[in-house]
Amino acid sequence: MNAYSPATKIVPAAAGASRPGAATVSGVRHPGRRYLANVRLLSLQTAKMRLVWVVVGFAFFTLTAFIRIGQLGYVAQTPDHGAAGDALVPPRAEITDRNGVPLARAFPAYSLWFNPKALGAKGQPLVKTPEEVARALAQIFPEEDYGEILAKLKAGNPTYLRRRVLPEQANKVFALGEPALEFPRETQRFYPQGSLAAHVLGYVEEDGRGKLGMEQVLDARLTDPAHRADPVALSIDARAQGAMEDELSRGMLETHAKGAAGIILDVDTGEVIALASLPSFDPNRGDLARNALVFNRASNQVYELGSTFKPFTIASAIDAGVVTDMAVRYPATPFKIDGFTIHDSHAFGASLNVPEALIHSSNIVTAQVADKLGGQRLRDTMIALGMNARPTIELPAKGFPIWPKGEWPRLRTMTVSYGHGIAVTPLHLAAGYAALVNGGIWRPTTLYKVDPAHAPAGRRVFQASTSARMRQLLRLIVVDGTGKKADASGFRVGGKTGSAEIAGGHGAGYNNKTAIIATFAAAFPMDHPRYVVIAMLDEPKATELTSGQRTAAWNTAPIVSRVVARVGPLLGVVPDARRDVDVSDLTPLVANGDGE
Amino acid sequence: MMVTARRLRSIGWMATLVVCVALVMVLAFRVNALRSQVHLSQAKIIALKQETMYLETEFETRANQQQLKTWNDVEFGYVAPIASQYLDNERQLASYAKPIEPDAPAPIRVASADDAVVAAAAFPAMVSPMTGRPVTGQADSDAGAAVDHPGAPAKADDDDAPKVTHKAAFAAGLAGLGQRLGTVRHAGHADGKVKTAKLAAKQPSGQKTKTASAPVKKSPSLAVVQKSPSRAFAGHLVQPKDRLASADQRHHALPAGKSGTPLIKIALRDEKTAK
Repeated sequence: MNAYSPATKIVPAAAGASRPGAATVSGVRHPGRRYLANVRLLSLQTAKMRLVWVVVGFAFFTLTAFIRIGQLGYVAQTPDHGAAGDALVPPRAEITDRNGVPLARAFPAYSLWFNPKALGAKGQPLVKTPEEVARALAQIFPEEDYGEILAKLKAGNPTYLRRRVLPEQANKVFALGEPALEFPRETQRFYPQGSLAAHVLGYVEEDGRGKLGMEQVLDARLTDPAHRADPVALSIDARAQGAMEDELSRGMLETHAKGAAGIILDVDTGEVIALASLPSFDPNRGDLARNALVFNRASNQVYELGSTFKPFTIASAIDAGVVTDMAVRYPATPFKIDGFTIHDSHAFGASLNVPEALIHSSNIVTAQVADKLGGQRLRDTMIALGMNARPTIELPAKGFPIWPKGEWPRLRTMTVSYGHGIAVTPLHLAAGYAALVNGGIWRPTTLYKVDPAHAPAGRRVFQASTSARMRQLLRLIVVDGTGKKADASGFRVGGKTGSAEIAGGHGAGYNNKTAIIATFAAAFPMDHPRYVVIAMLDEPKATELTSGQRTAAWNTAPIVSRVVARVGPLLGVVPDARRDVDVSDLTPLVANGDGE
Repeated sequence: MMVTARRLRSIGWMATLVVCVALVMVLAFRVNALRSQVHLSQAKIIALKQETMYLETEFETRANQQQLKTWNDVEFGYVAPIASQYLDNERQLASYAKPIEPDAPAPIRVASADDAVVAAAAFPAMVSPMTGRPVTGQADSDAGAAVDHPGAPAKADDDDAPKVTHKAAFAAGLAGLGQRLGTVRHAGHADGKVKTAKLAAKQPSGQKTKTASAPVKKSPSLAVVQKSPSRAFAGHLVQPKDRLASADQRHHALPAGKSGTPLIKIALRDEKTAK
């Protein structure tokens, strides 16, 4: 059609001019034919051009389609995939134990909201009288105060009646038939295990900030949008933690103790498998007064841990070559130094050797060994064991030890040798015992799960041979000495009792003869130590259940025995009655007898 | 004609275009429908996952460590396993195999420690209690399984003898007990009174059960065998003729010298049970 347009009519002349030969031939004979031929040529050219354009267009569209299909198929994600996935990402990341058991998770729990306008802006907000509703609510939630609920209902302002409501409680409230009582689902922090490991986890305040434990430490990580989907695994084992808390609370009840602390520590990685402090609190219950219960006795409170320090002194002396022969006997009669008499709980005869001193827990012999060792070397050992600094743990609650500054005089060296005049947390003690039995390497304790292949290198405190000797001696204490009640059958427990009198404030001395800290520091299995177990009771009383005794041999040693028997199989330690550390070279040196 | 053809072609192209557009639209609708379905499914999956999480949390809460402990204290009373409940290997497991019942087949013994002891101590090897002559292999086991009978010929360990006994047992109306029956005579009775009893003499599989009748006589050779240390097994004297049948019935075995062989005691007791 374009061929007949005026614009194109000029073109044939130009085309003809470009080909003079052809124009001349046709122009001479048939000018009309020439025109027609031009038109035909032009039409053909136009048709060809159109065809090319159509083909190019088709090709372009086909190519585009293929590219799009390819892009959809291989490159692009399904639309909205990420947006849909976001719905499952919690606003605060989960905290799990080492086996993936959730310890803290964001949970859209019900809350109880009073909406007075639910029945319309005018008129009564409630169907029944506020008194009836308040009474019914107080029945459903026995821990709530009737007066408070009534006051809220009467005030007629929209408010929370309760922050967290269980589904069955929500059903009961729903059955009251009050439209003004609503159950909005709100994402809250929920601790499925209740008060388990409460001091390790901490809690989350209503403003969403973590407090106290790992919730506080990991606050930024848990709320980071990039990492919220991934749970944080702690080193805690919920089962071991449960067993530890359970046995400690039993021990506490049996002895009417003020409090208790317990630790299970992996000796090779420094991972804290369980860390318990009693009395505990329920992090789910933000409404309860926690202040009295949040104090962490395991990592925050420092104690003079008494005789549990004796193995450190002996190990230091063996390591330094001060004690080379286990058969050497030391006088076991009380002696005076700087006006202070060092004595034992009772007399053990004229003399004792080192294994006997540990078995009977003799202050006199340990003090003499420490005196031979010297204050400087004992101090260096204690520093190497981290006893002069806060415990290495992620928790914010870390107690600073009472550490004797400057050079230690003879008396101080002697008292430190049996755990007085120095006060550390039970966590310090656990880390020290791990170094004592694991071949002599001190490692920082941690609440994060550690890959065994990438355990921290730590630092060497004792020679491996010293550690081997200490394993024998600790086992001997449990087999023949004060720790007999800790001997969980087949688990080859070794450990040391400690019953330290509590010093009065401001240097008042040890006048309170009834108040003691009873500790048992143990490791198992002694032929290849895997875990250190510490159990501590704060001011236990002598009761019938502890055979009228209040010392560690009677109250904390049985706790350790029960804990080991319960957690050993869970932690992969198989009890075996036919296996044990060889103590045959020490056994002949020990005369029978008990002590503390 | 040309115009018509061209128009036809145009119409054809248009038709093709319309069809193509329609197809594309249908495809687009289907794609969108599918996409909506995917969205719906995703929403459902999310809802289900959340529901799973709620339920899981509820389960974790109801089954938390403290709750489990309370249940265990009240209901179950489970305790941690002790050392003796663990097995080191298959060998230890095998050692806990079921103790052998009174009528169980005799264990197959392949070790020859006894014979080595015998050889070292220069004791006579397996001696027939009846003949006093050394016996070997098959014949000896036959003799062991056999029980004395006064009517049988002295050569009780002959292969022919058991068949006779079988016939006698069937004839006695005890056919129902089949091959496990035998006729025994109390060894303490010198008057030759015969008692029939059920025998715990089932042979190992593949071996035909054989019972034999043999005369009872307190032959000197028997006394010798009873005292022989080569017959002692784990502190118990095992008599040659019930070696296969009751060598492992140590808890049933009587001390040597008492009247009646352990085998007969068992047999008598079984007879009572059967009645």
